Amino acid sequence: MNRRLAERPESKIDDTVNRGMQVLKEYTADDDRLMTLSVGPQHPGSGHFRFTIKLDGDYIVYCDPDPGYVHRGEEKMCEYRNFIQNIPHLERPVIHDSANITYSYSLAVEELAGIEVPRRGQFIRALTSELDRQVYTLYWLAIYGIFLGHSTMFMWPTGDRELFIDLLDALTGARVTHAFNIPGGVRNDIPEGFKEKALRHIAYYEKRLKEYENIFYNNPLLRQRTEGVGVLTREDAVKLGVTGSVLRASGVSFDVRKAEPYDIYNEIDFKAQYMRSGDCFARAYVPFLDMKESCHIMRQLLDKMPASGEVRAKLQPNPKGPPGEAYRRVESGRGALGYYIVSDGTPRPYRVKISVGSFRNMLALPHLLVGAKLADMPSIYWALNYWPVEADR
Amino acid sequence: MSQGSDPASKSNTPSDNLTRADQSHANSKTPPVPAPVSKPGTSAKDLSKKEAEPPAFEKGIIDRLVKEFGSKVRVLYIRPLRMKIAVDPADIVEIATHIRNALGFDHAESVAGTDYPKDNQIEVIYHLGSYGVPELEGHIMSLATRTSRDEARLPSLINVFRSVEYHERETFEMLGVFFEGHPRNDRFLLPEDWADIPPLRKEFRIKGR
Amino acid sequence: MTIVTLVVLPLIFIILFYVPLPLADGEVLTPYLFLSMVVDPTRTLPIIQFFMQTELFKVAVFPGFTYAALIAAVTIFVERKFLAKMQLRVGPLYAGKIEGIFQLLADGLKLVSKEIIVPSGADKLIFWAAPIAFVSTAAAVTALIPAAPGWVVADLDVGLIAVFAVFGFFPLIALLFSWASNSKYPFIGGLRALHQLIAFEIPFILSALSVVILAGTLNLTGIAEAQNQYWYILFLPISAFVFYISSLAEVERVPFDLPEAESEIVAGWLTETSGMIYGLIQLGSYIKLYALSAIFVILFLGGWAGPQILPQELGPPGEKTPLVQMLTLEGIYNPVQFNAIFWFTLKTFGVIMLMLLPRGINPRIRIDILLHTGWYKLIVLSFINIFIALALVYGGVFGPEGVLNSG
Repeated sequence: MNRRLAERPESKIDDTVNRGMQVLKEYTADDDRLMTLSVGPQHPGSGHFRFTIKLDGDYIVYCDPDPGYVHRGEEKMCEYRNFIQNIPHLERPVIHDSANITYSYSLAVEELAGIEVPRRGQFIRALTSELDRQVYTLYWLAIYGIFLGHSTMFMWPTGDRELFIDLLDALTGARVTHAFNIPGGVRNDIPEGFKEKALRHIAYYEKRLKEYENIFYNNPLLRQRTEGVGVLTREDAVKLGVTGSVLRASGVSFDVRKAEPYDIYNEIDFKAQYMRSGDCFARAYVPFLDMKESCHIMRQLLDKMPASGEVRAKLQPNPKGPPGEAYRRVESGRGALGYYIVSDGTPRPYRVKISVGSFRNMLALPHLLVGAKLADMPSIYWALNYWPVEADR
Repeated sequence: MSQGSDPASKSNTPSDNLTRADQSHANSKTPPVPAPVSKPGTSAKDLSKKEAEPPAFEKGIIDRLVKEFGSKVRVLYIRPLRMKIAVDPADIVEIATHIRNALGFDHAESVAGTDYPKDNQIEVIYHLGSYGVPELEGHIMSLATRTSRDEARLPSLINVFRSVEYHERETFEMLGVFFEGHPRNDRFLLPEDWADIPPLRKEFRIKGR
Repeated sequence: MTIVTLVVLPLIFIILFYVPLPLADGEVLTPYLFLSMVVDPTRTLPIIQFFMQTELFKVAVFPGFTYAALIAAVTIFVERKFLAKMQLRVGPLYAGKIEGIFQLLADGLKLVSKEIIVPSGADKLIFWAAPIAFVSTAAAVTALIPAAPGWVVADLDVGLIAVFAVFGFFPLIALLFSWASNSKYPFIGGLRALHQLIAFEIPFILSALSVVILAGTLNLTGIAEAQNQYWYILFLPISAFVFYISSLAEVERVPFDLPEAESEIVAGWLTETSGMIYGLIQLGSYIKLYALSAIFVILFLGGWAGPQILPQELGPPGEKTPLVQMLTLEGIYNPVQFNAIFWFTLKTFGVIMLMLLPRGINPRIRIDILLHTGWYKLIVLSFINIFIALALVYGGVFGPEGVLNSG
């Protein structure tokens, strides 16, 4: 075994980039000893994403991500539809976190067009955002479990996710891509009996979270496999510009809901959850802490919601605003999801740029995989909270 | 970029640059832009409060930049938590390095390229954020630069902000802007057999629309 | 029609002419006699009795291949249901009226009807031979296992060593098959299988060694009979634990299913299998599971020892009509033996369920942790128990002049 690789190389990113190929200097890219593996889209461990790795024995010495398998041209399509027509197709990059990806868009459009959202609408919007955050994070956790071979941890979160999908179904009418947010608020009011049902579901769910902790996070085999693996130091996390749970697992306590509270988040009392170790275990545990915190947020939202009121602003059929630009962001399941929208005074946006957390976190993938063992590859890859469809837009 | 109630100001909207042939933005330093958005909640009601002064903290940051670089930096707007400055391509690396070292913006959140065929220019805008400095927590400094459409080359900021690597690559393939100094100006999201013009240019029409 | 009359019928007559037919209860067992069994119930029992004494019965039916395959099939179904209940779901439900009971049949039919794709560039001989070798080896192990006193296919004096010798063949098959698949993912999987299976052979043997020290014989039947009074697990819990972990690793079950780690190397060394080849390997894998559970039961849980709970005679005593005779299995039913079979099967099932359990609890282990465990920790643990066993023997508790000698 190559002793030089046995010690994880010093995680320093020096400012001279070595031609974009993260090959360690001892090898040339076409060395005979290396075996090239394409962890491609048809691989149970990769999702709709491909990355090429070169192996020396059990160690990865080169990694090249190759996204684009689900690229549908979301940004270009936005220029052909008006502001409200954009909502259904903008949800598609992350179908189960669709509330957040349209929330950010709505905030940016409201800033451009000068629309004011009524208070009750803001609360419902935040509630939908939290529900979708739970739905996404549970799905992510399920896939993380199965990547590590833990089939029970695949079934349980997928089953418990139904609690929140049920609530979303009652609230919006659809299970996943619900197109519930529009610029100006939400489409409809919450139905009768929703609050009691939601509180019941949340209470049951908090009990389930304890069981997750027992079977998964306190499982010694899991700890052995993820602690100390793929360590992303704080400096590297900041330099690479990662976001979301990856950033918070490396010790930077940054949550968009705290840094730049949008809507009514400055009235809600919660803390950004973070851990300092920066390894795969931290990246797996921070979303779990986020989920617990999200339950508190949901309870507060349900309590503080005004008893009645409008849920959306009155809109003309083709809302438009004066020429300008806006950049708004929202904390989604993957991290800060930002929209940069340029408007030229017409009902259609001139340019929409979506800055997604997955695309930013992808940069940490070659950085962490080089020098790691092949067996750690699914753990490191999925712990980066990477959603391939969203990164491709 | 203003919220509509001050048409007489020298506001720097894209359509205003129709009359200009050179690559620089309008030369207004302190646009009298009203501050429409406040931190808690976006409400258009605040639009009516026509504050002549941009918010003080952001203004302080911009003032430091302007003091350092003078006329190389053109301030486009200063809003709560959002600042936009425009620079020339030749100065961008220097100014970005200064922003990173002295002001504390340590990563680039996103890089967007916008095609303005009316001005025959492509604007590339870097949204810079800060994780290290607590006072700058929610602030985004937007650093914009323009280049001509026919000969789109820009110096890459990869040695200043490592996080722009994939964003610049995407801008290259979507808009055709070549970033000098970037190690891989390559196909990223588009399929390998893409043989058309860069898709985010305005002359590229989606079929059937 | 012409082929049948010109070729098949003469062939049958030649065979019937030259092959000596056996004697059944004083009469020659012609096919006529065999078919007449259907009509006359009084003739059924003697024929079955005769058949039970042949070698063929022991090999093919009990305790040989059919018994093992049946337990393996039931294990597959039970595993799916068991895991499903642990994971808040239902398992196979639709094939068959009650709780999906015909799922196995449906799966078997599906696998048989699938096309077997041999990758180009694969070594065809080994590609076809290795799965068959896998199943045969697994079946060969079941030939050594005694399920009841006197019921063993091959009663060797060195039975336990023969078991380990046969088990040592599995890494070779895995490696050959993965190499013959001519593809990268099977290659990685095969190497991992090789490392894993070899690493756990030694703790496997050492933990069984402590049992041999206590029993004084390598013969599996002898070991089972030596536990008449006390089961060895009471004296050798650590060895039982080490044996259990090693068997999980030998059978490639979670948490040791690295050779087929689905999310990293697609399906490991089974990537290129399809159709019946996959079916054969799965069957072999579950027969291996049964074999290891059975050996665990024999070594540590007393084999077939258990209280006599089955009655002396099924049915009312006295003269019986032929039909009642047939139903009460007169002549075949031996209460001691049936009791032994019952306890043996029950215990084996219990151990199988114990081996299925970690799949619902644990994630997969990593190769370096696995090798570290196999080569360092388990060998040390098994040595501890060897010393305990030696102390027991020399202390006079066991052995020829021991206090707890069962003979």
